[in-house]
Amino acid sequence: MSDDADPRSAALGTEGLSKHFGGIVAVDEVDLAVESGELRAIIGPNGAGKTTLFNVVTHALAPTSGSVYLDGEDVTDVPQERRPHLGLARSFQSNELFAELSVLENVRVIAQTAADGTFSFSLLGDGRAVRADEARDILARVGLSEHAETEAKNLSHGDQRRLGIAMAIATEPSVLLLDEPTSGMGPGESRETVELVQSLQDDLGLTVLMIEHDMEIVLSVSDRITVLNRGSVLATGTPDEIQGDDDVQDAYLGGVREEL
Amino acid sequence: MSRDATAGVLERLGAVELGVWQVPLGLLAVAVLLRPVVSHDLMLGYPQVATSFLIWMIIVASFNLLMGYTGLISFGHAMFMGIGTYSVAIALSSFAVPFLVAAPLGILLSAGVAYLVGRLIAHKGEIYFAMLTLAFAKSAHFVANYNPGGLTGGTTGLADGTMPAWIETSRGFTYVALGGFRIDWYWAVAAVFVVGMLLLWQLVRSPFGRTLVAVRENEALARAMGVDVRRYKVWAFTFAAAFAALGGVLLEINNQGATLSELSIVTSGNIIIMAVLGGANYFFGPLAGVFVWMFVEEYLADFHTLVLPLTEVPLARIELAGVLVYWQFFLGLLFVVAVLVSPREGILGLLKTVLGRLSARIRGESE
Repeated sequence: MSDDADPRSAALGTEGLSKHFGGIVAVDEVDLAVESGELRAIIGPNGAGKTTLFNVVTHALAPTSGSVYLDGEDVTDVPQERRPHLGLARSFQSNELFAELSVLENVRVIAQTAADGTFSFSLLGDGRAVRADEARDILARVGLSEHAETEAKNLSHGDQRRLGIAMAIATEPSVLLLDEPTSGMGPGESRETVELVQSLQDDLGLTVLMIEHDMEIVLSVSDRITVLNRGSVLATGTPDEIQGDDDVQDAYLGGVREEL
Repeated sequence: MSRDATAGVLERLGAVELGVWQVPLGLLAVAVLLRPVVSHDLMLGYPQVATSFLIWMIIVASFNLLMGYTGLISFGHAMFMGIGTYSVAIALSSFAVPFLVAAPLGILLSAGVAYLVGRLIAHKGEIYFAMLTLAFAKSAHFVANYNPGGLTGGTTGLADGTMPAWIETSRGFTYVALGGFRIDWYWAVAAVFVVGMLLLWQLVRSPFGRTLVAVRENEALARAMGVDVRRYKVWAFTFAAAFAALGGVLLEINNQGATLSELSIVTSGNIIIMAVLGGANYFFGPLAGVFVWMFVEEYLADFHTLVLPLTEVPLARIELAGVLVYWQFFLGLLFVVAVLVSPREGILGLLKTVLGRLSARIRGESE
């Protein structure tokens, strides 16, 4: 099983994408074709290269070889800071924040960047007023309105995860990469967060790639699932297809079951 | 005053919503009050140094645009100030260019050098950036010391013919003579101080300035969210150099020429210490830092004998002149304490915390 679609016509596509660290192959010839509006889960054991794949797709790390396509356009060599302006946004596995700034300012400064571009000589007026209404709307969407004036570092872990999603949304993306949005959350909070992702996807017409460990969540919400193992794609398919795949059972799901 | 009344006053003070006028009014207050305060008998007792205070406040505040707002630590900030000072001194002494032409050129030159240096090094990691600024500053010092073409005056610096004709000095005071009347040099500097600091303040509150703060807080996140971190750093470096040079050109008149110390690493170090001492987190932090540093320098240098108790009839006289000439040692200790307690808060942060606790306690007890 693999992606049948053409990566060059997908919302997000990769072709032979690889990342080597010296002799270590972290991402190995990955082909992806994520359709517009799809929710794609990326699963795989620890060290499978999931986060590295995100880093290469967003050009936080330059790929060793291969190509990345966004809406049919080859963006392989587009620098990292340009990509959010082309519609590609991400959240992080760890809580990356502007720690000493208010929650509102965390989102607002990104909304401002989305409007102003990678660099702008905006030297007039009060910065804190620029796009503040849009930022408040986004905070309302993710349920952080009451914490708007809280310093980001003082939020609870779960709220910091949500703030990460809010910041990604503030870039006005078409394709959203979420790196374990539910990590460190209890079952109830995880469920809420996934519902939040789904509602954002529906309302904003997003294409979502989500790294996720909770198999129950993955199987219930994904349109398709890509299984990574040792840096390469083991299988891609619908939840049903993935559950029925022998290779996947052996390499991943089986392993989990045996542990249980 | 009873506790209730005190709490009432504090509450009313807190309730005054200065809003956007807070900083402009604060700057005006500093410019107007600094000289009378400094020259009061209980303080220094003489007014001449107040002008230097204001000039150094501009210079250290310009450095804090880098350290406090962008998260860039430069060990060579004096270079950009010194380029301003030397530009004016050279233009006046060697080329007879009027001060009012030379000063803007000096500021532009400093900004231009900063832009080029910034393009080369702004993307380097914190330590490498700091080391490279040190290296550039050291080479500027070397060039001035080498006295190329007899322009910079080498180790002696420039003094002859470095003053514009409209500057007059008499009995330790400097005046700006315009047409028939003359104004005190302090008030000319105060006007430049207020305008320059307002421009700097607008820079940090603008959308551009807010992006700098995001870069300071989390550079990798800012880049991932679409900010061209390197360009913002380069321009912060350029603006900071321009404001430093503004202070530098004022210093040229104030010190009657240019000396090598304006380009020295020690001066760069002092600028860092003053910013941290005052509180890098605050727009007024550098101002507080300069005030404390320079006040202590002047005050302790004149302080010879401690008379105890502080009354008409002394019981003991302690000679301290031999110890207090090492004022920098004591300020150094204070700097160490400030960094250990909270590296970004400084004296202003401490003051804020203490006042906050005090008012909370008074309010709490009066309930």
